[in-house]
Amino acid sequence: MPLPLSYSVRSLFARRLRTGLTVSVIALVVVATTLFLGLITSLRRTLVSTGDERNLIVMRKGSSNDGSSQLSLQALQDIRFFDGVARDAADDPMISPELIVQPFFWRKDGGRENVLVRGVEPAPALAVHEDVKIVEGRMFRPSSGEAVVGTGVAGRYRGAQLGEELEFGRGRWQVVGVLASGGSSFESEVWVDARELGNDAKRTLPYSSFRLRMAGGTDADALARRIGADPRHALEAQPETDYYAEQAESANTLYVLVVGLALLAGVGAVFGATNTLYAAVQARTAEIGTLRAIGFSRGSILLSFLAESLLTAGLGFLLGGSLAWLLGVAVSAALGGVGFGAATFTTSVVQLRVGPSDLLAALLLALVIGLVGGLAPARRAAGLRPVEALRKG
Amino acid sequence: MIKFLPLVWKNLGRNKTRSVLTGAAIALAIVLVCMLRTLPAGLDYFLDQIAKNNRISVHNKAGIVYSMPYSYLQKVRTVPGVVEATSWTWFGGAFEEEKGVTFPNFAVNPETIGIVYEDLEIEPQALADFQRYRDAALVGGQTLKQYGWKVGDLVTLRSTVFPIELTVRIVGTLGNERDPRLWLQREYMTQALEAVGVQFDQIGTVWARVDDPARVNEVMRRIDEMFRNSEAETASETERSFFANFFTNLEGFVTIILIVTGLVALCIVFIAANTASMSVRERVGEIAVLKALGFRWRLLFALLVVEAALLSTVAGAAGVLLTAGLSKAISSAAGWNPQLGPLGAFIATGAILVQGLFLALFIGILSGVVPAWGASRRSVAATLREVF
Repeated sequence: MPLPLSYSVRSLFARRLRTGLTVSVIALVVVATTLFLGLITSLRRTLVSTGDERNLIVMRKGSSNDGSSQLSLQALQDIRFFDGVARDAADDPMISPELIVQPFFWRKDGGRENVLVRGVEPAPALAVHEDVKIVEGRMFRPSSGEAVVGTGVAGRYRGAQLGEELEFGRGRWQVVGVLASGGSSFESEVWVDARELGNDAKRTLPYSSFRLRMAGGTDADALARRIGADPRHALEAQPETDYYAEQAESANTLYVLVVGLALLAGVGAVFGATNTLYAAVQARTAEIGTLRAIGFSRGSILLSFLAESLLTAGLGFLLGGSLAWLLGVAVSAALGGVGFGAATFTTSVVQLRVGPSDLLAALLLALVIGLVGGLAPARRAAGLRPVEALRKG
Repeated sequence: MIKFLPLVWKNLGRNKTRSVLTGAAIALAIVLVCMLRTLPAGLDYFLDQIAKNNRISVHNKAGIVYSMPYSYLQKVRTVPGVVEATSWTWFGGAFEEEKGVTFPNFAVNPETIGIVYEDLEIEPQALADFQRYRDAALVGGQTLKQYGWKVGDLVTLRSTVFPIELTVRIVGTLGNERDPRLWLQREYMTQALEAVGVQFDQIGTVWARVDDPARVNEVMRRIDEMFRNSEAETASETERSFFANFFTNLEGFVTIILIVTGLVALCIVFIAANTASMSVRERVGEIAVLKALGFRWRLLFALLVVEAALLSTVAGAAGVLLTAGLSKAISSAAGWNPQLGPLGAFIATGAILVQGLFLALFIGILSGVVPAWGASRRSVAATLREVF
């Protein structure tokens, strides 16, 4: 017959300070892990969620990102009418020529960052990037010094709010709209007229990349190969989703870092939990002897102590998880997003969000801590000989 | 006091499992705190390395990716107070095509770079070769190690900015073993560009050495004034300020690292406090007996605190040693990370290790004080009545 769960619960509350400290230790480990994990999954989510699998990105061969690629007007004319490029209602090819420049922006607190400014043509850009929506104000008008800013940019930089005048490059730009894209990296960008941006940056070639929508049923690889094989221009095409997935790979090192941190902290917490439960076993030796004497089996004693340990871990997770979630909200409110990308010449503004998957990982960690931490003391408790245990007490 | 140290040691050994577990937990937490601190410290270390306050950068006011006419280099060289100037242009060469740019590489002016970067102490022979051979390149120690290159090797870099690829010959080492940079001759690049029909007369940044640190501000003002209302207005700043600005977008990440570090430190306090309270609780009877025998409460209090502090410090020392080894292993295994930048150097400086040790000592004392105070101040009669 197993011991009732309430026995384990009551035992926890019998030594409040000790239980409280152990719960706190596990809670802190949970907070630290969740917070870090949340940050990195947010970074990955931002990068991976960008792009549409129906879209191809065309860059100059050998460019690893569109910020360093340069393309001519002729190249655009030559691939526009390729088979496989989707047509819109007016039978125009759905292809968005884009120019990337990364000028200085000034943060509200004075720091300087490189921000990705994307020069586009309004209609094809919004048609190809279907997830990008103007959520406030309106789209810019070409050749009128207007700009729309991503939601991550709007709150972060000086002059980047709707209706303000934004200074970057050689000129001043009127912010007429705010764009959102469901959390993807377009929200860290500023969109302006491609021609105006080219003039401002004095670029010799007008474009960096083309984004094209494939017609339904098109074989993406075949189209990409055809674009790559065009002898007139050294071009390279790949699905947009692959492109952003590659950008997200740099987050993998960070994952290794966080997993290492979580493991170290977890092992530390295991030691703490083991200690507490050993002390509990020692203090309750007589009690355990009594339980054995009145007929509870070794197994049920073992299970009961494991339950106690797991309960501690569960409490720690509840406390730590909610604390981490609150901290995540507080940090992103205070910092307005966390900037990433030291050497890539652009800042990705990542909204720190502690998501369900981060919490799940932390719950697993907490339960493993509880289980491993409880195992040795529980076995010692189960192994006590009733007569000796009673005599000791 | 000293004569009681064996007693303290014996007390620690009474419940060996507990002491070892607590010590291990504290040691691990100290390792974590120290390793986390190496991240922001990497940035400081990086900035301190280039703390040369008489070298300035001149770049386009609009941004680093905005270029300037090549003629600006000559103009900067004529400014009074400028000893010598050189230009940097981002070549963006990729060695392994599928991985993109894995180390920063620039086209520079070999004639003047040795004077501007006198403090790098590039070997005279390497510098002379860099100037003499058109395809020569100087490579930082980190990149040399990462790819196992040595002087004399030929390396082909495909530019991600220009439509060319260049094969350079390594003629020497640049900077220290943490330096990821590669320098190649500007002339080599422009000639290759000409061959494919591109006239390139732009530069990224100009780096200039000023003769007297006191004149730096004046020189910077003069340069920026010279280019005011021109096609490319400039912004000059000291080298340190340039790199500090370059990495400002890491500040948010650093804040989070610091929060997590604080949490882990708090964690140690709880683990240590838990142990201290457990051992004191088990010994109340014994403490009462000692007091009844005439030992002063102050001495008993001190002994209990020293016990907690000793355990924590020994554990802290183990943690610090572990950190020193671990950081060495990681920093030699990890390369240049584009997301972490200089945060990813993982250098456990002496300061970090010493602070880690003091943190452990402090936490030990902190965790011991409350339970020790309670136990040593309890009335003997009350305790003994309870126990017997």
